[in-house]
Amino acid sequence: MRIEKCYFCSTNVYPGHGSAFVRNDAKYFRFCTSKCHKNFKMKRNPRKVRWTKAFRKAAGKEMTIDSTIEFEKRRNIPVRYDRELIQTTVQAMKRVGEIKARRERAFFKHRMAASREKHKAHRKKVLEATKSKSSVKLLEPLAETPVKEKIKVAVIAKSALIQGEGRSMGMEID
Amino acid sequence: MIGLKSTLNVIDNSGALIVECVNVLKNKVNNGWGSVGDEIVVVVQKARPVSAATQASVNAVKVRRGDVRRAVIVRTRKAVRRPDGSYVRFDDNAAILLNNKREMLGTRIGGMVSGDLRLKGWGKIVSLAPRVV
Repeated sequence: MRIEKCYFCSTNVYPGHGSAFVRNDAKYFRFCTSKCHKNFKMKRNPRKVRWTKAFRKAAGKEMTIDSTIEFEKRRNIPVRYDRELIQTTVQAMKRVGEIKARRERAFFKHRMAASREKHKAHRKKVLEATKSKSSVKLLEPLAETPVKEKIKVAVIAKSALIQGEGRSMGMEID
Repeated sequence: MIGLKSTLNVIDNSGALIVECVNVLKNKVNNGWGSVGDEIVVVVQKARPVSAATQASVNAVKVRRGDVRRAVIVRTRKAVRRPDGSYVRFDDNAAILLNNKREMLGTRIGGMVSGDLRLKGWGKIVSLAPRVV
């Protein structure tokens, strides 16, 4: 049993999931979801669709050259089952995962540090542009509104309302 | 989804090129639609021309236009569910012609066939095919 990669977005396709399309030259295209299948049918290039792994790698948004990536690879050499080998492999997978995560974090930090400066400059430029344009006016905060004075009114001592029977109220009529 | 009037490519060397489905045999489960591994009755719509030179050899054309034959579906455009839950679909609909004893009319297969055929009891066709997907 194998965990295959989606042709479009390169995520894992576990057994029993997804669908496949076989072209007449017997090339096998596996898809993780109907979303990827539909995008393929629309003849979109995965390298040009921003949410795919192919795009992110091509655009330098992800680590591409690293020794930890080399471990997860398709190997067409059959390996005889060996309990010891499987055990060490499982252990190594965990360790490699840790190292990969650490390196990815470092890569992300480095990428963000460079982009932060760019972002700042860009925002400044946009702000300048909006200021200079006459059609867009920034609103000034309004001046403080004057506090209204309280007016005292004499209270009428006796109410015209009288208590009725039960919960209703009646009125005294002269 | 092969039913009445569906056209299929023939991928063996029987001489037929395109056939039209006229009946799906004994398949009451799927409302009369045929899928990979189902037997159908077809009419040959287009065949290779009969030439005297090849008539004596193995590659002799065994069918003519208008012949009614039985065939087995080997590829469908409609996705077919595999026992492991995944779905597989192909580029076209294709079939292989059979004789009255449910044996292949041709001697060769020129194209890939679906691996589902083996499960449906068409092991002979699977073993002859150049590619099984």
